Amino acid sequence: MIGVQTISAHLKKMYFCKVLSLFFFCGAAFAQTGKVLIVNTDNSVFRYEKIATEFKNALQLNAYKWTEFDLERHINDEEELKRLIQEDPPGLVFCLGSEAFLLADKLAHNKKMLFSGVINWQRLAIGEKTNGVANELSPMHELSLLHYFFPSIKNIGVVYSESFSLEYVENLKKTALPLGINVISRSNNGQDDINAVLTDLMPKIDMFWLIADPGVISGLGTMQQIFDTAKQYKKPVYAYSDVFIGQGAVLSISVDLATIGRQAAGLAIKMDMDDKAPSGVVQTPVGSTITLNKCVLDMLKLKFNPDALDSVNDIVGCGK
Amino acid sequence: MKRIWSIYFICSFFISGAYCPAYSDGQQTVYFYNTESNINNFAALKGGFDIYLENRGGYFFQPFDLRENFEAHIREKKRGNIYVLSNWHLRELQKKKMPLEIAMIGTLKGNEEHRKVLMAKKEIVDFAGLKDTVVAAAGTEQYVHNILKQILGKEHEALLEDITIFIVPKDLDALLSVGFDFSSAAVSAENGIDKMKLMNPDHFEALHPLGFSKKDYLLVVATLKNPTEQELQLLEALRKMQDTDEGKEVLRLIGIDGWRKVK
Repeated sequence: MIGVQTISAHLKKMYFCKVLSLFFFCGAAFAQTGKVLIVNTDNSVFRYEKIATEFKNALQLNAYKWTEFDLERHINDEEELKRLIQEDPPGLVFCLGSEAFLLADKLAHNKKMLFSGVINWQRLAIGEKTNGVANELSPMHELSLLHYFFPSIKNIGVVYSESFSLEYVENLKKTALPLGINVISRSNNGQDDINAVLTDLMPKIDMFWLIADPGVISGLGTMQQIFDTAKQYKKPVYAYSDVFIGQGAVLSISVDLATIGRQAAGLAIKMDMDDKAPSGVVQTPVGSTITLNKCVLDMLKLKFNPDALDSVNDIVGCGK
Repeated sequence: MKRIWSIYFICSFFISGAYCPAYSDGQQTVYFYNTESNINNFAALKGGFDIYLENRGGYFFQPFDLRENFEAHIREKKRGNIYVLSNWHLRELQKKKMPLEIAMIGTLKGNEEHRKVLMAKKEIVDFAGLKDTVVAAAGTEQYVHNILKQILGKEHEALLEDITIFIVPKDLDALLSVGFDFSSAAVSAENGIDKMKLMNPDHFEALHPLGFSKKDYLLVVATLKNPTEQELQLLEALRKMQDTDEGKEVLRLIGIDGWRKVK
């Protein structure tokens, strides 16, 4: 990868060349390079807004220009986006969320595309010239940190739906083994009696791992059942998002959105500067945010590595 | 132990936004700024320290996330307050003729110094192998740049031009990112390396140290020169945090478990 300082130096050279080319060649090609179109599914969604902000900050540092298009703010979004792409052709399109990606991919299929904020990106048909940053931390990232916080946890329970998370759970099991962690899984398709599944699982595990599986966490009722059963069996719940801390999860290790934005900007610059840059690259987010529920930790009298306290980003107590 | 945490969380809840600088005006205060600390819930941090300090002399704790605001308080040179910060930051302030001096040094498991380590993939055998690679690290870009410059030394500092510094939230993220092939190397505090060993032995085995920064104190407490009796009392209250499990646990949030007085 090219250094930031080098990029700045290259950019200066690049802009000089661009100015020259403006004089000597037609301006159409010039209008494309270095210009980014950000297509956002809904900028009022915190997640998208945060990623976009950090992405723009990084672009600005590298003297890039961008145009933004928020689908939520346009009634005829398809028509208007199409017109924008035709009138002001971007060098690269950065899409936030599945909706933005699907539409932009349809309208600017021959352009360099970049995506983030897409749940389960594997289901997208990723064409040529397309790269992305995944929405979730890798299971290895989460498991490593979890193992560090709770070294005595050996058996983790997961409930998943085969249609959404079979591969994920298989990967989780494989990844956990070298860390001495056994993942005990039970499939549930959402219509099954979750209570029976949980009652079978809880006595066998040290901790319940809540995964982002829409087939399982389909409704508030199911979520409540998971937390209630865990409480009944005095089992801690680990969750992929701090949203669940308030419901009683003891620890969450979630993706750091600002880092995703910076990763995406790095990819965008690389794609813009190098036409031969590899495509089909989907980076795993590398930044995490750790939230610890001290109230639940004390209540369950869990063995916790005290050295890990300085790695926590947020601590929630009983009063919160 | 459980009780003090509960109380401070309740307090931090009620004093929402309590880290606003105006809050502690007129009170003897411990001002805190450290980019190397991970905790970013200042209400929880403030709550933890306040509960402890308030009961031991009516003192307050004031964390800052903006360096300028922290330094603005130092520039006021108001007597009675003390400042917790990184030693490199203190040195910078002293160079700018701020009349500060070290009063206490943070300790962790008996150690008061640490180094930053440049951990690289095993196939990168020397500094030259870092050309056109990504190095992940926590902190600010300027800070990481300075640390890398120190590690690379004069002979190799030109390499910085060809290295992309990528900022992540924590040392542990930086180290893990090498394992995910996102980066080729990571800068981490020495204790981050120990953590990595426990956290993921396989990832740890795939890395090796390529270079070290100079040793520096973990964290320092500074006072204005010739501390007053009031300031000495506040220092003593802060030092005594290590004498109780509750106090030690709060100190852990900022990466230390005790203080050593500098004579």
